[in-house]
Amino acid sequence: MHLAFGPAAEKTVTDPGASTSEAQAIEVASIEDLHVTFRRSGKDIAALRGVSLDIRRGEILGLVGESGSGKSVLGLALLGLLDARADVRGAVRVAGRDMAHCDQSARREVRRVHLGAVFQDPMTSLNPTMRVGRQVAEVAGSKDEAERLLGAVGIPDPASRMDAFPHELSGGLRQRVMIAMAVAGNPDLIVADEPTTALDVTVQAQVLTLLRSLRDEIGCSVLLITHDLGCAAQVADRVAVMYAGRLAELGSSAEVLARASHPYTLALLRSRLSLASDRTTSLLALPGEVPNPAAPEPGCAFAPRCDLAGPACLDAPPPPLEVRPGHLSACVVPAVEVTSRLAEVVRAAVVPHPEREPHNDDVVTLYRVQKSFRVGAGRTTRRLQALRGVNLTVGRGESVALVGESGSGKSTLLRIVAGLESFDGGKLEVAGPDCPQMVFQDAGASLTPWLTVGEIIGERLRGISRAERAAKVAQALAHVGLPAEVAKAKSAQLSGGQRQRVSLARATVVAPSILLCDEPTSALDVSLAASVINLIGGLRRELGMSVLFVTHDLSVARVVADRIAVMYLGRIVEVGDADQITSQPVHPYTQALMSAVPDMGREPVALRGEPASPLAPPAGCAFHSRCPKAIDDCGDALLDVRLTAVDRSAHHLAACIRATA
Amino acid sequence: MAIAEPVARRALRTTSRRKTRNLERKASVAAASLFGVVTLAALLAPVLSPDNPLMPAGAPLLGPGKGGFLLGSDSIGRDVLSRVLYGMRTSWFAALGVIALGLLIGGVIGLVAGATGGWVDNVLMRITDAFLALPAPVLAIAVVAALGPSLLHTLVAVSIVWWPFYARIVRGEIRNLAARPHVEAAKLAGAGRLRIAVRHLLPGAVPAALVTASLDIGNLVLTLAGLSFLGLGQSAPAAELGADTARNLSFLLQDWWVPVMPGIGVLVLAFIGNIAGDGVRNLIEPD
Repeated sequence: MHLAFGPAAEKTVTDPGASTSEAQAIEVASIEDLHVTFRRSGKDIAALRGVSLDIRRGEILGLVGESGSGKSVLGLALLGLLDARADVRGAVRVAGRDMAHCDQSARREVRRVHLGAVFQDPMTSLNPTMRVGRQVAEVAGSKDEAERLLGAVGIPDPASRMDAFPHELSGGLRQRVMIAMAVAGNPDLIVADEPTTALDVTVQAQVLTLLRSLRDEIGCSVLLITHDLGCAAQVADRVAVMYAGRLAELGSSAEVLARASHPYTLALLRSRLSLASDRTTSLLALPGEVPNPAAPEPGCAFAPRCDLAGPACLDAPPPPLEVRPGHLSACVVPAVEVTSRLAEVVRAAVVPHPEREPHNDDVVTLYRVQKSFRVGAGRTTRRLQALRGVNLTVGRGESVALVGESGSGKSTLLRIVAGLESFDGGKLEVAGPDCPQMVFQDAGASLTPWLTVGEIIGERLRGISRAERAAKVAQALAHVGLPAEVAKAKSAQLSGGQRQRVSLARATVVAPSILLCDEPTSALDVSLAASVINLIGGLRRELGMSVLFVTHDLSVARVVADRIAVMYLGRIVEVGDADQITSQPVHPYTQALMSAVPDMGREPVALRGEPASPLAPPAGCAFHSRCPKAIDDCGDALLDVRLTAVDRSAHHLAACIRATA
Repeated sequence: MAIAEPVARRALRTTSRRKTRNLERKASVAAASLFGVVTLAALLAPVLSPDNPLMPAGAPLLGPGKGGFLLGSDSIGRDVLSRVLYGMRTSWFAALGVIALGLLIGGVIGLVAGATGGWVDNVLMRITDAFLALPAPVLAIAVVAALGPSLLHTLVAVSIVWWPFYARIVRGEIRNLAARPHVEAAKLAGAGRLRIAVRHLLPGAVPAALVTASLDIGNLVLTLAGLSFLGLGQSAPAAELGADTARNLSFLLQDWWVPVMPGIGVLVLAFIGNIAGDGVRNLIEPD
């Protein structure tokens, strides 16, 4: 246990159960008018442009923003870890010290005694050459304390894990080790920068629950930095929304969700996908992109994308004003007007999807497709069973989503359909004269860096004159909402959203029979993801393509797909119409995925454990080791779980002996 | 006054930082352009030389500055400056030739190995390893013994051991690039193997190969001079820096300039090669 004298001793008295409003008013950290400017290749990049924020004792404050909003810079400023060359104005007070300006030894002292940190990628923030027990003991003080902490953060069998190296642990366990190190020494404040972004959905829910229970137990505050408003609203007490280096809105989670007052927060809420999103209309995407931090607007940074922007918005950045007690919003338009005026705009923007004419022929047919990879060399060679017999059809013009966690084989399946990977057994038929086209997760990496966009798109147009080709390229670019000048640019000159549009233009310049999408939106900001999903849907209907869409997020799958196939460890465990799957999931795994989707105002329900290794899938039903409904028979090696019709329609199939028996 | 001060200081600091960066870039450009300067000097050796390097032009063994010889004259009265200039011309173009040949052979083998992968990659890389294991001097002695002494034969021997470096570098770059999604995207767009190799892979390997090659020039000048010093290069009476140093070594004590001046020529070439190579690297791979 950490013991301190003087002001720090107060925190040992703090009891979250008995905390009064008076005790909560004490701030563990306060940021006053913080400006941070970096200099990169001759340009001033204004990362923070005047942020004032208090973090109260014992609260979880969700800091939400898209990439470039400055949320991570704020986290680093709290930890006193900003680049020494950054130009910092304002104050960052933690435990009575200004972390932006005091000397390094004082910052170290504050970090050691008062702060803890959890970063996005635990693989890079843990020392790969050191056993985790020693790493935790370094901060905790003793081996026994380290073991106790590992147990406290929910690592099963902590005694044996003490001797493990970071690479021997799964992503979720590694993040728990990071959290154990962060809570060692009972800090006042834990800065958690995107702690769950690199994790699977089910594991993400576990980690969020853990953060929350740690706060309840030791009474520390948590600054939860995330790009997902839903994720923040679910666990945080208060939410701060940032845009372009300034605070847009700040208030209690319930207040911000129910009565959001800033047009940006409202736009985020509208473009955010949930299991309740309307499938029959296009999504309400936020137009435009995040502003360039090297050339900040003189007025409100959100004005160029805002439906309510008027001349008053262009003069000076609006200061956060109190709209209700404890609820701030930085908008010149009165809060009452914002909601009503936006509602009108929104009603006009909704476009219902046209009815799809059913086709009977299939574009892709997979029959008992199997695939395994060899892992390791020599005696240690093992077989990773990526696909263990998959049956699936995609009809003409139909959109099918493959949903599953990492290691489920969904991406392998997509690559096999694309012809980029061979398969070991079974049958695959792909209709159509031309080969399928694919949109990759990392659009930037899928564009050849030294070729221009025109050359890249034009690669699919052979045997026509140069002028015809240029015309078709311009047409394809116009289709995805890009100006013709983009043809002359190289991929490094484009933004993330533009790159994904270019790769869509390449895929559709000659309409393929099927478009394969490998998590095309997971690397994009929330506000852009919706517009890319709209674009894919629009292109599909216009060009009559089929779509096979891989995602780990059921709420995305639900809006892009007519049918959803849920995969676990190389097998489809449930398949059916998108509505059926998301309204009445039958397989326990689908049910677990559903409850893991971060949703506002709902407790995350965590599935225990992590996906089993595809190197050694459990016998019987591969899911039985994590299944809350498993019975003894489920682990029987002779058990052959097959997809069986759930209802009479034979449309909805599930592979579970408990669900269909 | 007191309020304005810190702002002014900050402004000053940023401009000076920008100046430093500009200066660095200019220095790199200047260094890289030394390649052009030396190549030009080598090309113009016949114009720049005061005398014929092969024919006596005055009294033998005159010291630097005497009898109209800027760097003195050698044992039979030839102008040392002219011999050094012609020697530099030989060494420089020989080095460039070996590197160009190495880039061509190594580039093609590296590209084929890296872009094809599998057993082709294995076979080509094992062959490359075998060539990499050959010691340059021993191979040069063998080649010269078999074909007779001549600069060309030495260059053949050096080229044989030089290309494998480039093959390895190009192959490594290509392997890295081949794993990127843009190659798969090109495959799906219908590009053939050749098109992928030439259009989607090769341009990515050029910067690394160029950086290595430009840093190699100084190295190669030294190797060639060393081989000539051992009598494995240019045969008399043609001028070559390494050979001139070796042949005139007996004059070192009384008439030092005869062996030392060509030696300084080697030094200057190697030095220029290295700083110019650094300049090229800074320009291609800034930080």
